[in-house]
Amino acid sequence: MRAYVTNKDEVLEGGLTSPSLFLQKAHLEGLRSLALVGLSKNAGKTTCLNHLIRTWQKSGISRPLGITSIGRDGEEEDVVNGQPKPRIFIYAGTYLATAKSSLSRCDALLDILALTGIRTNFGEVVICKALSDGYVELAGPSQAADLFDCEHLLREQDPDLFFVVDGALSRRAQAGGGITQSIILAVGAETSANPDELAEVTAHALSLLNIPALDAIIAVRIQDLLKNQPAIRVVAFPQAIEEAAQSLALPSLVGQAKVIVGVLEGNPGTLMLRGALTDTLCKSLLAEKRFRNLTLAVEDGTRLFISPGILRKLNHQGIQLAAFYPLSVQMVCLNPFKADGTPADRTALLNALGHITTIPVEDFGPTPL
Amino acid sequence: MTIYLNDAEAKLVGLDEIIAQCHCRCPQGNHLKAYRHFYDPTEKGELQEELDAIAALIALLNTTPGVAIDAQRLLSQLRELRGTLHGVESERLLDETEFFELKKAIAIFNQLADLKALIAAAKVRLVVLDEAERLLDPAGTGAQGFHIYTAYSAKLGQIRKNKRELEFKLESSSGTTRQELLKKRNFINAEEDEEEERVRRELGISLLHWMPELRTNLEACGWLDFRLARAELALKWQAQKPELLSADEPAEITDAWHPLVKAALQKSGADFTPHSIRLEKGAAIITGANMGGKSVALQTCFLTLALTQLAYFPPCQVLKTPLYDFLSFAAGESGDFNLGLSSFGMEAIRLRDDFHRSQLKRGLVVMDEPCRGTNPSEATAIIQALCQAYALSQSSLLMATHYKVAPGQGLRFYRIKGIRQAGLEGLRSVSGLKDTELIRQIQQLMDFHLEEVDGSHPHPSAAIQIAALLGMDIELIQAMQKLWQEEKWQK
Repeated sequence: MRAYVTNKDEVLEGGLTSPSLFLQKAHLEGLRSLALVGLSKNAGKTTCLNHLIRTWQKSGISRPLGITSIGRDGEEEDVVNGQPKPRIFIYAGTYLATAKSSLSRCDALLDILALTGIRTNFGEVVICKALSDGYVELAGPSQAADLFDCEHLLREQDPDLFFVVDGALSRRAQAGGGITQSIILAVGAETSANPDELAEVTAHALSLLNIPALDAIIAVRIQDLLKNQPAIRVVAFPQAIEEAAQSLALPSLVGQAKVIVGVLEGNPGTLMLRGALTDTLCKSLLAEKRFRNLTLAVEDGTRLFISPGILRKLNHQGIQLAAFYPLSVQMVCLNPFKADGTPADRTALLNALGHITTIPVEDFGPTPL
Repeated sequence: MTIYLNDAEAKLVGLDEIIAQCHCRCPQGNHLKAYRHFYDPTEKGELQEELDAIAALIALLNTTPGVAIDAQRLLSQLRELRGTLHGVESERLLDETEFFELKKAIAIFNQLADLKALIAAAKVRLVVLDEAERLLDPAGTGAQGFHIYTAYSAKLGQIRKNKRELEFKLESSSGTTRQELLKKRNFINAEEDEEEERVRRELGISLLHWMPELRTNLEACGWLDFRLARAELALKWQAQKPELLSADEPAEITDAWHPLVKAALQKSGADFTPHSIRLEKGAAIITGANMGGKSVALQTCFLTLALTQLAYFPPCQVLKTPLYDFLSFAAGESGDFNLGLSSFGMEAIRLRDDFHRSQLKRGLVVMDEPCRGTNPSEATAIIQALCQAYALSQSSLLMATHYKVAPGQGLRFYRIKGIRQAGLEGLRSVSGLKDTELIRQIQQLMDFHLEEVDGSHPHPSAAIQIAALLGMDIELIQAMQKLWQEEKWQK
């Protein structure tokens, strides 16, 4: 834990960090993929993406960006509350995967490179390359499998590109796990303008996103199982992992606690659940005596929808959480404004957030365009 | 005319599953496959051409298999273009993705046209569209992507130049100057959109000129794909080209197999016994013991003939056949509980309709144990009358039945050889087997070959024997045997 301290040279007027330090702060250069997720609406995700794009361009890194979103983003107005939203500005050379109907709302000159066959509410997802700078609207796929396909098609254009996914935490969770290897978490005063409250919510979110990786041998065995039976949602491994695993193919985990407990008969060491892990499901599982002293694995930290209380109960019963696809949270970005434009105490929020994590916590301010 | 079989019968025959093994790569090929054109006798020439093209492709694939991989890689990139082509024809304003689709399709046509040996073997015609390709790549860079190129319009070039200059200024501007520049940028964007729209409209109209060739090429790609897929399937099955005979000749099927049953048997380490049969006008009656494989024999024969008339190479060593006006496979109706309809009611309707059709046209009607749920004496009369009526018709009836049919003109009889008695003793001495394993062992004792017999042959019987092998109560078996002997004696 550390107090929020900034180098004097990095601080701009009003306590902002210079956006030119974005890449440096987030240590993005060696990464292959990143998702920008927000704790809530108006957490500053799009601003964060704009900073990333802008500093990537200015840094002169030769790897291009390949960007998409889970669902729609970059539109001029928030479709929910009608408030103006920051638009996404890209530079020539950036690749993107966006839906057909969004193309007419992009003013960058885009070279159409591939049609993906992936359908969204906004039309088929198209792979393009920007030939000029300009604004774009992103409307990408909403399922993990489709996002993998988009990444694959983008990498056909340039295998080394930096794949960036813009997507709200809730949308990312719906999409499924393993979409990217790292995350930037955007948090805003919209969640709470109270520094301690915001810090508490953020600390909990980070503890879920940062759960450790599942044991590598078990992860390989799960991968083998899923290759042959992709519908499997529950896998239980005995303590002696050389013994056979038990698995269940279910349409969803919702309301299936009793069925899931059925696979715990062999006193397993690891239980893998593919799907959203909610308080309700955890409560039902915790009520079962066999649900004790094991590793509970999920696809990644975004699949966890559990409250701090439930997390404590899980820990109390000897349940250790682990991720099939571990995530690395690179940075926490703060938006100190509420959705209606009301400012909160930026310094206090930054200090409170700085106390709960060693990950850089920054406010880069708005983007110029 | 067509193939008559309901969903349950189609499942039994396995037609859908077998056709699903034919893998087309492009939507146009898949449409042709899904359409399942049934070549009737008036289309014998077309069917012959189709089969010849598949045979030529098989020969080519045997010598240069790489050509199929190249072609299929290209075909798999073709998209469903009906909407886009209709858009061009109706002079709808196309968007960039539609121009991209067309550009890509034209590039695929031109690359496929280069595979000359393949195109010649597949007997398709592809028109090279160099000029259309140039239209969608005005700078001639060979780039695969598409956007509204500056080369289309000097005005567009000027607008984009202005926009670039303005964005350069924007980078270093702030305050009210920046706001002014942003307003100006919006204005330039509107100008750019307007000019791009004009170019798109012009491009669409220019493409109208190539519509006939675009349509011809798409159709040709569909046929190339479908023929190539059937050639691959024939190679996989080692199937032979069928010989099409004139209408008055009999069908001759030699060493036919059912691909699905064969694959299932192979999984359990067993072999499929191929079937051979000759189908003349009139009726062919297959008899055989229970578990003798009568149903599979019927399904196999029907499948080979149906696939032939759907222009696939049938799974058999030799097939010579006339073209039938229709094919029907009736597996015996099971009624419909939901509609409250009786089994025999449904079956009688099917018998009625098939017979009616057989009187009007030359068809092949296959029946698997008709009247199996009817009282035996009435059923025997129905079966006998049906066989006699078909014997006089221009159609062919292939029927499996346990009921006795008296010989007569126009009737041929086949028998499944049945249990090899020599192996029975060995099986009797084995104990402790699971039921499914026991059934498998009995199946292995079966000789599934079809042999032609005269109508006076003794009726095959093995039901009681099989029941005994499966461990039915010994006293019950003895009672069955006693009653069976008494009935034989009475007859």
